[in-house]
Amino acid sequence: MGAYVLCGPFLLFLGVFSVLPAASTVVLALLDWPLAGGNARFTGLDSFRRVLGSEELRQALVNTLLYSLFTVPAVTVLGLLIALTIHSVRRGKVFWRTVYFLPFASTLAAMSIVWKWMFYPERGLIDSTVGQLFGVTNWLSDSSLALPAVALVGVWHQLGYAVVLFLSGLANVPTAHLEAARLDGANAWHRFWHVQWPALGPTTVFAVVISTISALRVYDTVALMTEGGPVGSTSTLSYELYRRGVFYQDISGGAVISIVLLATVMLVTLVQMRSFGRRLSEAGAR
Amino acid sequence: MTTGTQSHHATGVLSPGRAEPPDASGRGWGSVLRRAAASDIPRHILLALGAIVMLAPFAWMVFSSFKPDDEVYSSNLLPRHPTFDAYQRVFDTVPMGRYFLNSVAVTGLIFLGQVLLAVPAAYALARMRFRGSKLALGLVLFATMLPMQVVAVPLYLLFAKAGLLDNRLSMISPFLASAFGVFLLRQFFLGIPQNVLDAARLDGASNWTTVWRIVLPMARPALTAFAVFSIVSHWNDYFWPSLVLSSDNAATVPYGISAFANSESNDFAAQMAAATLAVLPLVVGFLLAQRHFVRGLVLSNTPD
Repeated sequence: MGAYVLCGPFLLFLGVFSVLPAASTVVLALLDWPLAGGNARFTGLDSFRRVLGSEELRQALVNTLLYSLFTVPAVTVLGLLIALTIHSVRRGKVFWRTVYFLPFASTLAAMSIVWKWMFYPERGLIDSTVGQLFGVTNWLSDSSLALPAVALVGVWHQLGYAVVLFLSGLANVPTAHLEAARLDGANAWHRFWHVQWPALGPTTVFAVVISTISALRVYDTVALMTEGGPVGSTSTLSYELYRRGVFYQDISGGAVISIVLLATVMLVTLVQMRSFGRRLSEAGAR
Repeated sequence: MTTGTQSHHATGVLSPGRAEPPDASGRGWGSVLRRAAASDIPRHILLALGAIVMLAPFAWMVFSSFKPDDEVYSSNLLPRHPTFDAYQRVFDTVPMGRYFLNSVAVTGLIFLGQVLLAVPAAYALARMRFRGSKLALGLVLFATMLPMQVVAVPLYLLFAKAGLLDNRLSMISPFLASAFGVFLLRQFFLGIPQNVLDAARLDGASNWTTVWRIVLPMARPALTAFAVFSIVSHWNDYFWPSLVLSSDNAATVPYGISAFANSESNDFAAQMAAATLAVLPLVVGFLLAQRHFVRGLVLSNTPD
């Protein structure tokens, strides 16, 4: 009896605001229910045909996957390198961790506005430095440079998260193993490759899976830096969900995109766990 | 599958003293130490170079916010005649104070509601046996993996039909049942020794009293981590507000300054001033309590 009183209120809210909405996504996708009023009409798979066949969705899906391909490996590799460097210095570990973590703790919506101006043609910080050096300018108005620009901001934002994950992974490597390797005459590279890297297996899997999930949901930077443009070149699934479902008030279409987003997240996570997840996790246990 | 690794890390939050890497053991002799410290210098330089890139947007934002009109488009990073004019224009154009009050109210009420709902539920799921507890736990785990984007459309429809868009109710209620909070607290409650709970029962404490008077005070580390996670992620949230909000009425800081940036699209300095104001509270909080921030945000970063 007592248990239901303790659990009940939470489960009620969870049901109304998470479980039922998640389940009703499928139902909504099959209906035409005008927001302005009027009755719902059963339309079967019409919305799936309309949305899945649309150029906008294809573009959003491709951009979302490309964005993840741009950001996740960069975040993981740079995060590991920076964490190894911070871990190896004698003084100032906490200071450097704080510096690199700062972007992750700050409001991304506000920083997206700042980055938009940093990419401003000629006068922005990027065009007046990198642009001058390499002649690559006006990123956000160029349909082939806009997505890399948004991805750059994504890497900047997520990097500190990976750094801190790897730092706590490195702190858990038994010092006795490192000391033993040192006594055996292993150099820094061998100590990393044979002792630290295998021990970091589970951390690496966790870092890759979590940063992929957040990359697949990217929204703030897209909405505030490019609004999906130019010509849809930075539109992502989350942004397309907002554009179709809320901005154009196409509820059933938005529901279809929700399903596509969930399917993408689950599929990519599954593939990651199958392909390298098990191997790296086991490496950590050996 | 994700949960396996999550629980692995989530339990990490709860064992104090693990987050700090132990110092590499020094050799003791002064000269050896000094040579070793000297060899760290190239690494510090490398880290400093990376730090320039990480911090450049903050510097550019703050410096630009103090530029007067005639310097806005100069390529100098530092303002030659710094002024508060841009801040004045922000406060003259939009109700910044209201945005902050809304943000404080929304994040505060969400966190309060989450604690009131999650603590008893987590306790029941951790320490009591009842019919349907397996199903309830399954629902919690399912919900921790559910991105907000997936439930956003049905929730939007719900609030639109109820006439509650652009309202604090629609900003708060979807987040009150935090599956992640229950998950994190349950992990912690599983570790409380049974004799503590038995002693409470012998003293005649009800379940309700046990939860709030005995279990909750013990759960401070888990609760602190969850507080940081909840407050920071809802303070920063832009996705859900951008769906339901349409006026200054219930606008939180990220939504308010984004709307300002769209309407004053040419006033660069004022946009930087608005962004600086938006970023300031969390950055200050982070610098004051960076240990708690790191624990709360990293060891518990999952889709809300």
